[in-house]
This record gives sequence, structure tokens and C-alpha cells, in this order.
Amino acid sequence: MRLSDHIHQSLSNLWKKKLRTFLTTAGVVIGIAALFSMLAFGKGMQKNITDRFTRLDLFRYITVFGPSEGPRRPRGPRGHRFGDSRQTAPSVPPLDDSRLAEIAKLPGVQAVFPEVRFPAVVRRDDNERFTLAQVVSPELAASGLVTFLAGGPYTHADPNAIIVSDSILRDLGLTDPQAAVGQSITIATITLNGPGSPGFNPLDFIGAFTGDLGDALPFAQKEYALTIAGVAERMGVGMASPLRSDVFIAPQAADGMQKMNLTNVRDLFKSPDQLQAYSTVSIRLVSAEHVDTVTAAVEAWGYRTFAIADEIDEIKTAFVLMDMFLAAIGMIALLVASLGIVNTMVMATLERYREIGIMKAVGARNSDVRRIFFFESGAIGLLGGLLGVTSGWLTSLLINRIVNYYLAAKGIPYTEYFNFPVWLWLASIAFAIAISLAAGLYPAIRAAKTDPIKALRHD
Amino acid sequence: MNATAPRALIEIDDLTRIYPAAVPIRALDGVTLAVPEGAFLGISGSSGSGKSTLLNILGGLDTPTSGHIALAGRRISDLGPDDLALYRRDKVGMVFQSFNLISAYTALENVAFPLLFAGVARAERGRRAAEALEAVGLAARRSHRPTELSGGEQQRVAIARALINRPKVLLADEPTGNLDSTTAAQILQTLADLNAAGLTIVMISHEEPLLRKYSHAIVRLRDGRIIEHEHIRAAQ
Repeated sequence: MRLSDHIHQSLSNLWKKKLRTFLTTAGVVIGIAALFSMLAFGKGMQKNITDRFTRLDLFRYITVFGPSEGPRRPRGPRGHRFGDSRQTAPSVPPLDDSRLAEIAKLPGVQAVFPEVRFPAVVRRDDNERFTLAQVVSPELAASGLVTFLAGGPYTHADPNAIIVSDSILRDLGLTDPQAAVGQSITIATITLNGPGSPGFNPLDFIGAFTGDLGDALPFAQKEYALTIAGVAERMGVGMASPLRSDVFIAPQAADGMQKMNLTNVRDLFKSPDQLQAYSTVSIRLVSAEHVDTVTAAVEAWGYRTFAIADEIDEIKTAFVLMDMFLAAIGMIALLVASLGIVNTMVMATLERYREIGIMKAVGARNSDVRRIFFFESGAIGLLGGLLGVTSGWLTSLLINRIVNYYLAAKGIPYTEYFNFPVWLWLASIAFAIAISLAAGLYPAIRAAKTDPIKALRHD
Repeated sequence: MNATAPRALIEIDDLTRIYPAAVPIRALDGVTLAVPEGAFLGISGSSGSGKSTLLNILGGLDTPTSGHIALAGRRISDLGPDDLALYRRDKVGMVFQSFNLISAYTALENVAFPLLFAGVARAERGRRAAEALEAVGLAARRSHRPTELSGGEQQRVAIARALINRPKVLLADEPTGNLDSTTAAQILQTLADLNAAGLTIVMISHEEPLLRKYSHAIVRLRDGRIIEHEHIRAAQ
């Protein structure tokens, strides 16, 4: 039989049973639409995150952790480095200014930024939020790591400027980032008769929480008025960025503040010398190609490091797992649909039992009969695949619009949550055909095995 | 072999067909027969005598348990499934008592159906099917479906379909069994005309007068064996 005859024959046979073909195809459409949408969502998530990393240029950054800092979990093929170095922590030199100068001399290093964060309360009228403010140089603030929704980075000429995230802005009761720029807000630093102060006893700090000290809390607040220079999109990229706060303050502003230079309880137990060292330092490289060499050099000193470039394989694996999970959900619908195809095709072989006998009597080979039914199930798959990706695409667009409409009310910028690469369209259609052919396999073989004598006698 | 005798188109040698069952059924038991080219052979016998089994094996729809059958010198009993399909397509045409037309197809589509499996182009299929329908006097009914045709017309469509690939032999299994006597006579006359044109015909019928009127020879079967091979008249 000619290919054109197979196609014509299969479409003609399906057309004769319009309702059954429609219902069977509808099952495939739903399955493929679910699969397509799920994978498009997974790809959208992946694209948003990798685009964000790329846009923020995070592949050029390495985070270096001081002797007692850093992630505890082992990670990736180099996972041993954290565990091993923790064992030798006492011999690791502190991450102080002299060490930063040595890191800056490494080939491929463009700049080194120490991470200085301190506890503070951001306040405006009756609204306030506790946070860890980060001291960020004007250069780093202007490096492109910060996505400004309004305003921009401060300069050395703005001693009282501050950059806040849109998240902080909402907590302060400000919804319009543009209107917020230039407004004054209050930073209340928290001070403590603590590390570095004469007579500090960590037990006093603990006593403040257990009530042993009564009302004699070792805390005090100092308020400073600062002007919003820029409103930044909340980063939410964790260790991948040297900027890990919702509030950025220029060094010249921070220098004049009374504050605790500690970010966690462990800092309470550090000596004044240890407190002079930085817990975390970020390195900006000339290009991502230097990640391996600079990481190796820094780790040779005993420090632990984190680079998003190193994590990309793990991230990809995570996305593959997520895609598989999402695809599995879509597959359930498609499996149900494939049972529908099996049912339809078995029904077709039973209804056309005599016709199969006639086919064989007039010279059809078993392979001809098999192909006729294969083409019919394949046609269901093709039709279901085409309609499935189309309806999946339309549904995804609708969901994207609804979600963005809902999130816009919360001040979250418009995001494309679904991504439709060309291969996803083609693969979904191909998959629909493959599943349909697989579902049509048994009925086709069954039809091909029909005994023509019995079939011709069949009423 | 007599040099002047017509050449045997079909040669059947000790053909046996046993259907497996708790007690195996011996449908054909050592049948030996030769059918000359251009002959009109009638086969008769009571129900279960083995005549349909013989025709099914001749038509390549069934295979013998033992023995041989050859058409134009080629053994068909040794053919594999695909070659047997080609044999059914190109060498024999079959006509059945119940017509076996596809109800969803028009007369033209039914006649053209075997050409589909021969890989003939769509336009050529239509042209040849129209010619075949014209040859059996049904050119005007080409667009009608089987349910819109009389029994005689359906059988003529079936004959046209059987002849569309220009077979060497036409096998007819009770072709007039579902027809009234007038229509049956017309169908048999059509077959006789085809035979007169040189087509070899093997026809099963239980109507002895019709067989005697149109056949050159009649083979009578009982319990899978030939009990009589009667010569009626010489083939033209």
C-alpha cells in the first residue's frame, strides 16, 4: 500500500466513527496538554532562574567563608572540601583585610567584597521590620547585581543614602517604588554590651531571653534617618550573590553608626580579634572561566567556597528531576488516554472483523493490515498531539495571565512562568504519536493475526 | 501425459487438511485433482464434505496439512504468509455466497479495494474499477453502497472485484446461494461468459442442475474425498 493510501484510509476510517474518534482524541488532547503545560512550567522556572543568574552575572562570583562559616552540607563532586576543611578549621587563617588583599592579587580576580551585615530595624511611621542590613560599597551596588525597580545606586557623595528591597518597602507601607525614592526612613541599629565591650559575658545575652536578668536587657537601639536612593527587586538567590540582604547601606553611612557587627549567635563567643575578621567574602572574577583556578587557590588556604558556576550541574540535575516529576503528572493523564486508544482500536478490530477478512482475501498482507490500524492510532496521536500542544499552550497563557494579575496586586512584577521551546512542541507531538502507536500495537497485531476464513464467515 | 490434452492450470496432489480438535477433523483426505486451463469445474457435495475447505486452500486462505497444490506449475502449498497474500491478490479471485462487500464503501470503492494492496495509484484504481463495473453491467451503480444494491447486483460487484487484478482463476463459493433463481441464472451466465473468454472457474454449488448446465466437469466430495469426477462437456 502507498503511504498516501494509508493516510487516506486511516483518516477515512476514523471519520466514519466521528464521536468515538473525538472522545478518544480528546483523551490524548488532555494528556498532552497536561504534559506540555507541566514541562513548559518547568522550563519556565528553569529559564527564569538561569536568566536571573545570567542577568545578575552571578556566574562570575565566588563566595568565601571564614574558618567557622559556610554551608555544612557536603556538595557536588567537590563535596569533600567542606567536610575536610572543617576538620582543620583551627589552622585556617582569619578572613581579614590582609587576606582580602592577597585574594585580590589572584589572577582572574576583579574585586573582593567583604560581607558586613548587622541587625537593624527599618522603620517608617508605625511600620517596621527587623532585618540584617548589609554594608555595600557604591561600586558593588552599581555592579549590576542589583535590579532597581526605582531610583538607583548611591554614590560616595550620598552619605545618608539607603537601598531597600521592594519587600521591605511593602512592609513599610509603601507600595509605589517610584514614590518611595527620596523619602526618609529610620534605621534603628541594635547595640549590646557584648563582644568587644569590656565585661561582656555571653551568659548575660542568654539570660536576657531566659528572664534571669529581669528587665535588664542588654539591648539598646540607636536611630538614624536615611534617604531611599533606590528600590531593588528582592534577589532571593541565597549564597549565589554577595548581596544577601533587603537593606543596603553605604560604608560611609555605616561607619558612623553604633551597631553590633555580628550576624549570628556564634559571633557572641568570638574574641575581639576574631570579630575583626570577616565571616564571608565575595570575589568577583574577570570571567566565569577563572572559577576553578581561583576556587582552588582560595581552598588551598583552607577556606570553604561556593560558586554558582560549580553548582550548575546540580542545578541542572534538580531541574531534570523537577521536569521528570512534572512530566510524570502529565503522563498519568496520557496513560489513561492511551487506554482509551487501546479500547478504541480493539473495538475497531472487532467491528471490522469481517472487513479484515475481506482485506486478506483480496491480497492484503499481515503487514498491510497491521499498518492500517497503526496509521489509525498514529493519526489519533498526531491529531491529539497537535490539539494537545495548542490547548496546553492556550491554557498556560491563561494561567500565566491569571497568576500575574493576582501577583500584580501584591506588587510582584510580571513574569513569564511558562516557557515553550520549539523542541517541547515537537517532542510533545512526537510523544503523542509514540504513545498512540504503542497503544495501537496490540490491536494492530491482533488484527493482522485474524484468520480470514473465520472473519469472512462472521456476521 | 497426453500431448493434446489441455494443460492443467491447477494440480492437486494427495491434499489433506486436518483441523485440530479433541477428535481431529479430517476435512480433506487425500484429494488429487487436475483442473485444465479454461475449465469451468463444478464442485458439489453435502455440508461438511470438504468443498469449502478445498476452495479455501485453492484460494490461499488456508493451508493443507499435507499434500501439494500448484497453480500454473507453482506450488502454493509451500508459500509463506506474504507470498500467499500476493498469490491471493494476483493469481486468484474469490466470490462468496454472502458477497462480502464492505458496507461503508461504494460499489466502485469495493471493486477498487484489491488494487489498494497492489500499490496502484488512486486515479488508476478508479479507472480500472469503473471498467470492471461496466463489464458486469453496473456502470450506473458505481456510487451506490451495497445496501442500496440488490443481491444480484452485489454479487456482480463482488465478481468485478474478484476480476480487478486479472486473476488466472476465479473461485466461487456458492455464488448463487443467496439469490433467487432468475438472478442466479444471470450470475451464472456472467460466469459462463467469463469462462468463455478464457477464465478458469472453480465453483461450489449444491444446485446440481445449474452445475450441469454451466460446468465442463463436476467433482463430488464426501467426507473429504472425491467420490466422483464427472465429465460433462469439453472445455472450449
